[in-house]
Amino acid sequence: MDGSQPYQVKLDVFQGPLDLLLFLIRKKKLDIHDIPMALITREYLEYLERKEQINLEREAEFLLIAALLIHIKSQMLLPRETVVDEDTDPRQTLVDRLLDHQKIKAACAILRTKENDQMLTWQRGFLPPLEPLDELEFIEVSLFDLAEVFYSIMQKRKQEDVKIIPGKDFSVKAKMDEIVQYLKVHGHLDYMDYFDRQSSLEEALFSFLCLLELIKTRIIIAVQESLFSPIQIWLRQKESSS
Amino acid sequence: MTAVLKSIIESLIFVSQEPIGLEKLKAILDDFPPADVEDAVQELEESYSKNQSGIQLQRSAGGLLFVTEPACDPWVKKMLHMDKKGRLSSAALETLSIIAYHQPVTLAEISALRGVDATHSLKTLLLKRLVKITGRKRSPGKPLIYRTSNKFLSYFGLNSLKDLPTREEIETLLEEEREAG
Repeated sequence: MDGSQPYQVKLDVFQGPLDLLLFLIRKKKLDIHDIPMALITREYLEYLERKEQINLEREAEFLLIAALLIHIKSQMLLPRETVVDEDTDPRQTLVDRLLDHQKIKAACAILRTKENDQMLTWQRGFLPPLEPLDELEFIEVSLFDLAEVFYSIMQKRKQEDVKIIPGKDFSVKAKMDEIVQYLKVHGHLDYMDYFDRQSSLEEALFSFLCLLELIKTRIIIAVQESLFSPIQIWLRQKESSS
Repeated sequence: MTAVLKSIIESLIFVSQEPIGLEKLKAILDDFPPADVEDAVQELEESYSKNQSGIQLQRSAGGLLFVTEPACDPWVKKMLHMDKKGRLSSAALETLSIIAYHQPVTLAEISALRGVDATHSLKTLLLKRLVKITGRKRSPGKPLIYRTSNKFLSYFGLNSLKDLPTREEIETLLEEEREAG
């Protein structure tokens, strides 16, 4: 096919299969409430066939809708035992999805103009804030994030010979006080750093339990600026001001 | 009296980096009658809408915020050495609108509505803090539930979720498209 190149470009315009369907409906000037299934299915499949390079992930999404189209058509062809009432058109769910998608698309267009308007105004907050004091700006970290990072730190220290236990005693109270004191002085501590500094595996494990206890009693909070950024430990604001 | 209150409120809005809500203003100005605070806010808004200042008072995300006049944009950009602010990709915008209209919503629900997997664009939106996680759904797999954030509102200059494009606005746009196409 000589026209393969332009089609390639054109398909990228479609975010997904629903966009392609809406495009075909508009191109063929069809009534969205009364779609001729055979025609639209043929058009849709033809469009897919023209696409030469296959991106498997995207392809699956397009094929899923193709299967849906064929399924609907088959449902319309099959004779039914029970009398069909007017409301149960097999096309209904598809029509609803298309209408909803069309609305979302329109809402996107309106939001895009609002975004453009907003692009022209600047607020003071746009400049980097002086101090990252606002707790709400951070994402609170879940137990699983904490445990996962802790596990990865422990993996690093696996070489340590744990058969020799130095027999040092740790007190929960003392350790917790130590953490809180550190936070009062330094404001926050870096989660990764903190465990890296621990002298032994045993102490690190112990500190981890103390941190969890402090989080549970809502004295400290584990947050990160954004997803996948380093986890930080802060004193909760109320406690730090009192 | 209101003149004093007006200038206090003006300075509070100026200092605040985020939209400051009426409730917060009332809490700070607890030595003034709440009704007076409301009056002063209204007067302040009126005077800002009247005068041709480079600073505008905007109602955003349920609060008040100072922003620069849109016409001044080229020079502000020059000063900040910014070419332009990054816009959302169409995929991210689509995902964001779906969340806005269908919230609270899970990733699977978003993907189903889009007909396209939304993992990547959702990650972008979380990084931009336009979307937040508000919990887990009580259903198999306990999927995370997403909602739009306050930053979403101020990003689009909306005061509340009620200011999202309405059904009428959407219908009008679709009608126009139909006539054009």
